[in-house]
Amino acid sequence: MDSSTHLLLAYIWFGLLGLMLVFYVVTDGFDLGVGILSLLRSQRTDRDVMVQSIGHVWDANETWLVVLGGGLFGAFPIAYAQLMQDLYLPVMALIAGLIMRGATIEFRHSAEHAPLWDKVFGIGSLIAALAQGVVLGKVITGLVPGELNTAFIVVAAIGVVAGYALLGATYLVKKTVGMIEQWARRMALLSAILTVAAAVLLTAATWFFSGVGLDRWSQPGVMRVLIALGLAAALAFAFIMTSLYLGATHGPFRGAVALFIVSFVGLAVSLFPDFVPGKLGIVEAASDSRTLVFMLAGIGLIFPVMIGYNLYQYYIFRGKVVGEAHAGD
Amino acid sequence: MPDHVLDLSRAQFAMTAVFHILWPILTISLSAFLVLIEALWIKTGDVMYYRHARFWSKLLALNFAVGVVSGIPMEFQFGTSWAGFSRYSGQFIGNILGFEGAMAFMLEAGFIGVMLLGWGRVPRRVHLFATAMVTLGSSISAFWIMVANSWMQTPAGYAVVNGKIEVTDYAAAIFNPDMVWGVSHMWVAAIETGMFVIAGISAWNLFRKRQPEFFARSFKIALTVLVFVAPLQIWLGDSSGVSVFETQPAKGAAIEGHWHTNPPGTGASWSLLAWPDRKAQRNDWSLEIPGMLSVLGTHSLHGHVTGLTDFKPEDQPPMIPLLYYAFRVMAGIGFAFMLLAFWTAYALRKTRGSLDALLAQRKLLLAWVLCIPLPYVAVEAGWIVREVGRQPWVVYGLLRTNQAVSSVAATSVSLSMAMFFAFYVVLLVTFFVLARRWLRKGPDLTSLPPANVTARGASATTTPPPTSGY
Repeated sequence: MDSSTHLLLAYIWFGLLGLMLVFYVVTDGFDLGVGILSLLRSQRTDRDVMVQSIGHVWDANETWLVVLGGGLFGAFPIAYAQLMQDLYLPVMALIAGLIMRGATIEFRHSAEHAPLWDKVFGIGSLIAALAQGVVLGKVITGLVPGELNTAFIVVAAIGVVAGYALLGATYLVKKTVGMIEQWARRMALLSAILTVAAAVLLTAATWFFSGVGLDRWSQPGVMRVLIALGLAAALAFAFIMTSLYLGATHGPFRGAVALFIVSFVGLAVSLFPDFVPGKLGIVEAASDSRTLVFMLAGIGLIFPVMIGYNLYQYYIFRGKVVGEAHAGD
Repeated sequence: MPDHVLDLSRAQFAMTAVFHILWPILTISLSAFLVLIEALWIKTGDVMYYRHARFWSKLLALNFAVGVVSGIPMEFQFGTSWAGFSRYSGQFIGNILGFEGAMAFMLEAGFIGVMLLGWGRVPRRVHLFATAMVTLGSSISAFWIMVANSWMQTPAGYAVVNGKIEVTDYAAAIFNPDMVWGVSHMWVAAIETGMFVIAGISAWNLFRKRQPEFFARSFKIALTVLVFVAPLQIWLGDSSGVSVFETQPAKGAAIEGHWHTNPPGTGASWSLLAWPDRKAQRNDWSLEIPGMLSVLGTHSLHGHVTGLTDFKPEDQPPMIPLLYYAFRVMAGIGFAFMLLAFWTAYALRKTRGSLDALLAQRKLLLAWVLCIPLPYVAVEAGWIVREVGRQPWVVYGLLRTNQAVSSVAATSVSLSMAMFFAFYVVLLVTFFVLARRWLRKGPDLTSLPPANVTARGASATTTPPPTSGY
């Protein structure tokens, strides 16, 4: 196959992996967010409801990360090898966080040590979110150490935690009733403001200090796309605020998801055509065309089916949580 | 590359893999058992089957959780610890792991919620379908993992271009020489594991005479499956052994402590027991049966069996006594399983399903209880044979393990390894505490199935009036 076909295939896979990343960040984002927020509730019964609201879906949500990992490994082995090696510590921290929360969500049903398991569940969720923020920060800053970059990474980590808390809080607005719902509305408001503040700070820092701002953003057309995305983000933020004010059940979550999608398109546009700005090009990291086509046949075809049964699972457990038995009871 | 990073990374991979494999093998077989139980429930309408489904699925829930979390490190370790391997063979291995994630893990995860929490929300048949999808997902996962691993044992359908492999023939790569044996041997091992766990736990309760009618049923189902599966596994093991002597002669020679190729026209001797000495390139002592290795390894009297001394020392597998005895432990357990299954079936042959006759077999019941850990030991021993036996190669004949390791700091590897070890201890202890509680509580013999809901599901939607303001 000629090189233009190869280029197209590599970009298709970049797009597909981007889509998987969005699915992961939005879905696991809300259940990690619920986990983080559970640290703020001292009543065991409140945490029961919160965990129950994600009990049926957290595993499938987290699986998007595993699918993404496998897809990256197959379609871009060079990028997978490089990124995993360079991001060894945050990736290990991410794994640690996911192990902590995944195990305790099952163990918390045991009568003794229940508060301890809940604490570990919340802290695991927080560590996972922080680690993802560090990965994001490190990738945008081109895996280059430095004081300014460290500050950037810290803000990115806080931003991801705030963003996930926003998704989690708005999800709880959708899935819970009474006092927890009211509390979730206040948390949603707080985390929405924090998320947008972090996003604005990161965007400004990227523009003024980073190579991405200098090179990629000054290319023809890119700035126009970014301005459009900025407006869309502002609209999403306004929508979250309005629907929270009006007391809507589903609106805040939809707004939060929109905010995330817009941010991710912005990220993808900024990184393109590299995985790591100035270091790791998409095309150079890609497998050959035969592999990309074979993977596309295997994974591309199954993609709609995956989305289908995921939606089915959400549908079966639709509606507000009103208290019922846990796994196996 | 500093050698201690290599050793640490190998130790870390070994530790995480040894721990992780304990869980999916039970997920595969226990969910398959539940498919059978739920199908019997729908077919017969006997509520006892429903109670079985609820009881055993609690163990599955616990097992599944540890399996999922201990599997996460595996997906990323190829890159964090083995960047050289990922770069070299990612076009195939990464592709296959991507298939596993998309086709297997998501299927499993997409239906486990309905399976464990969906009782009463979906009709029985939909629930059975969800359980079947969990079984299918976990089995597809085993399939793709064994495809990837068997390709590392007997690579095929590739070309090396610019220092990394490109797949030239997908059919040849997927259906590589070891694939059929690897997949089937592993899947049947998983089924054996679950059946021995179910039969062993049931036997313990029968031995204690706790809820014997309930446990007699699960014991008999597991026993029936094992009467067929245990001999099948021995045949599969034997066939994959023959395939190893053909495709990975150094591994075959190492697991049998076979140093010198037999001259044409003679049979190679087989040692029942020996102590292989890699330094001296011979067995320190051995208990030999002349001519037997040719029969075992090639199924012919004078079959050619390459000896270890035909390989340069740097191409021979390390830790030969470990390989030699791990293989014997695995094979011994396989034979013991077949013997126990046959013996028990024979002892019960004329009892016409009488409960008292089963309860009277106290020594046999105790033997089944003592067998619970053995399938796990056999699986671990089998993996040691498979993986240590492939050394010094990570991809047999193509890429050495010392070329595959990442360039990371030794302290990073030590730290993450200590962290995983601590996690595994906590996971294991907690699992046993919770499993013990589940076992003591026993099945609920009064529970009734939820009303057979319609396809629309029993939605618990309540819409409170909207409230304005923040």
